[in-house]
Amino acid sequence: MAKRHLVLGLSLLVICVGSSAQVRTPDEILKSPDPKDWLTYGGSYTSQRYSPLKQVTTANASRLQAEWVYHVDNVEEGEATPIVANGVMYISSFNRLDALDARSGNVIWRYLRQPPSSARQRGTAIYGDKVYVTTTDSHLVALDARTGGVRWDVKSEGGFTIAGGAPLVADGKVIVSGNRPGGFIQALDAETGKYLWNWSALPKPGDPAYKTWGGATPDGAPIWVSGSYDPESGLLYYGTGQPNPQWTGQGREGDNLYSESIVAIDVKTGSMRWHFQNTPHDVHDWDSLETPVLVDATFRGQPRKLLLQANRNGFYYVLDRTNGQFLLGTPFIDKLDWAKGLTPEGRPIVAPGHEPSVKGAVTCPSTAGATNWPAPTYSPDTGYFYVVAHEGCGVNTITSSNDQDSPTGYYESSSDPWQAYVRAIDALSGKRVWEYKAVRSNHYGPGLLSTAGGIVFTPEQFGQVTVLDAKTGKSLWNFNTGDVITAGPAAYSVDGQQFFAIMSGTNVFAFGLSDSR
Amino acid sequence: MKTRLLVAGFLILGSSEVLIGQRGGGAAPTATIGNPQAIAEGEALYNKTCLSCHGADGRGGATGHALVSGDRVDIGRSDTQTYNVIRNGVPGTPMKPLGFPDADIWNIVAYVHALRGPAIDRPLSGDVAHGEAVFWGKGQCGTCHMLSGKGGLTAPDLSNIAGVRKASSIADALTKADHRVHDSGGAHLQELPPMNTYLPVHVTLADGTIVDGVLLNEDGYSLQMIDKDQQLRLFDKGKLQNVTVEPRSLMPTDFDKRLTPEEFKDLLAFLTRQGRTVTPSAGRGGPPPVVQ
Repeated sequence: MAKRHLVLGLSLLVICVGSSAQVRTPDEILKSPDPKDWLTYGGSYTSQRYSPLKQVTTANASRLQAEWVYHVDNVEEGEATPIVANGVMYISSFNRLDALDARSGNVIWRYLRQPPSSARQRGTAIYGDKVYVTTTDSHLVALDARTGGVRWDVKSEGGFTIAGGAPLVADGKVIVSGNRPGGFIQALDAETGKYLWNWSALPKPGDPAYKTWGGATPDGAPIWVSGSYDPESGLLYYGTGQPNPQWTGQGREGDNLYSESIVAIDVKTGSMRWHFQNTPHDVHDWDSLETPVLVDATFRGQPRKLLLQANRNGFYYVLDRTNGQFLLGTPFIDKLDWAKGLTPEGRPIVAPGHEPSVKGAVTCPSTAGATNWPAPTYSPDTGYFYVVAHEGCGVNTITSSNDQDSPTGYYESSSDPWQAYVRAIDALSGKRVWEYKAVRSNHYGPGLLSTAGGIVFTPEQFGQVTVLDAKTGKSLWNFNTGDVITAGPAAYSVDGQQFFAIMSGTNVFAFGLSDSR
Repeated sequence: MKTRLLVAGFLILGSSEVLIGQRGGGAAPTATIGNPQAIAEGEALYNKTCLSCHGADGRGGATGHALVSGDRVDIGRSDTQTYNVIRNGVPGTPMKPLGFPDADIWNIVAYVHALRGPAIDRPLSGDVAHGEAVFWGKGQCGTCHMLSGKGGLTAPDLSNIAGVRKASSIADALTKADHRVHDSGGAHLQELPPMNTYLPVHVTLADGTIVDGVLLNEDGYSLQMIDKDQQLRLFDKGKLQNVTVEPRSLMPTDFDKRLTPEEFKDLLAFLTRQGRTVTPSAGRGGPPPVVQ
């Protein structure tokens, strides 16, 4: 027996060299993912959250069942979208990554970096044989995707604090973002961790945008949700958050660029190519961080490269993503009273009476928004954009009408409870096609995905998972996970079986057709 | 009988840490926990005063219980409790109040904390550069272990080994055949849970092909392993002819013999520096309260 050990030991010693030989480069794989995988937070660079898998269809979705459940201790309301590559699922938290056998949910390895953290974190990224962890002390750690071993560990450049958005690998760079000292996007070499560039959402003196702050020092514009990427143009698309102070605008007169904007950043240099500001001079904390969805389509007779966004302020936007030109904007909720509409350039026509006040100003939608960071989906099969929408209002207050640093507050309108829907919007016209009414809502709800099987996989806030017919909105199946869901789902396939995965509370659930293997 | 009495004595001493009367952190003049100078001064005081009962490195002596466990790292023990024991003694036991000034007590606490904590808090002395050469050279550690992206994949990654294990646990892994110990049962996992990881495994596929490697994990339905080509392999057990998991790791445990004493010492000096220092969490008692 001892001899056998020795022989095997020697063989391992001899063979412990080399690494995986892949036909396609990591960049090529990310540009054109295998349909069986879910490689990025948004499913692909377009963030369409559309899976070409079609084993599960409208005809058989009623036979879906939970295939496995995996418990992630020490998280609260897990927000991570799982990513899946070659049958391995990666579940991220701050300071932690769990690798699972995506067929069985059996853990393969765990990376645990002290201290444990339950802070919200929304996903990871993969590049070749490396997966990435962001840490509460703003490090980016590259792990060996096979074992969880540390390949490198670097701190963000310039003391920037990395937020909970999933990293995105584009053009061989890991893109991270954050909130402090102000909104920023930073690129590090995906192979080595070397710092490459940083883009700040807050202009510096001398920048014309600096004058849009009324003399105040620009503050805020946090960036805490992953963006999208167009490899053809080399542009990254991210949303930015609110200006600070968030509910008091009197000390920062002006548009407050580049808060509340969609920005296009050159992946090579980190320079901003264009911006579109959804909510100039925001005083309702409507971050423009909702996922920008990239779609190529014929729009009004012309082939266009589009960017779609359902914004927290209640408007659905269609932009030309090559230059930021506003093409279309329309409300996707009924209760919208803060603006009378949009100008031809897409600027809101603000209605009076909704500035936060000492008495309290009722505004629809609420600060939680008509929708929020949980991602929408676009199906190229139907041409519909699907989003969780909230009808509801809130009340914004300040404690003094004279003090620009007056403490502020926000509460929901108790006389007007919220109602959540999943709405299908014709992507090119903005017209609503159908809606699915959730049981109730006091929260912004989870993200969605659609598939080539003609379905929309629809988690709901109170723990129910539902499958909807993508054409009609008809409910085809549901399952109660027993805990709050705020995360986004993923779809993948292993050994011929299609799965849907979603975090619910502290668990990851995987669903499939058990007779498909 | 004598042994039984001694064991009972240890238990009383051990449990009494949380029962004694006078509380309070005393005056901790500066942050002593993790302070190398405080640890060194604490070690000198410990060796002069405490070692005769509690043994070298707190491993236990003839009349004093061990202050550290055999676990990879000790958590859940409060520095304030240790302080109180040193300051007040334990009634009914040979542990009497020692009458040290508070600063000295905290230095001893810092030393005991370092003994209980991960190796990075108190790396062992030696020629670190030489230890690194031994790691990659004569020791052949890097053949199977990875350090910051360099090395093999058929054994656990050691990039943060000193951040999650005590120095004594690292030494045990190099010298004791049965070095697999229970985890510390703390509130938070600090490292891989005690799965049957990295045991040699032989998988026979349906077509008779045998895949050799090391096991990462398995359940009744699936198996996950690293094969000899260092590739992650996932198997559906229902489709396999046979699975054989060998009971012992391939890790040699005679490094104290295959290396010279100097090489071994330097290797430990190197390994006990591979990791991150972490601020003690509440689970480990946290830093002592600072009373000005």
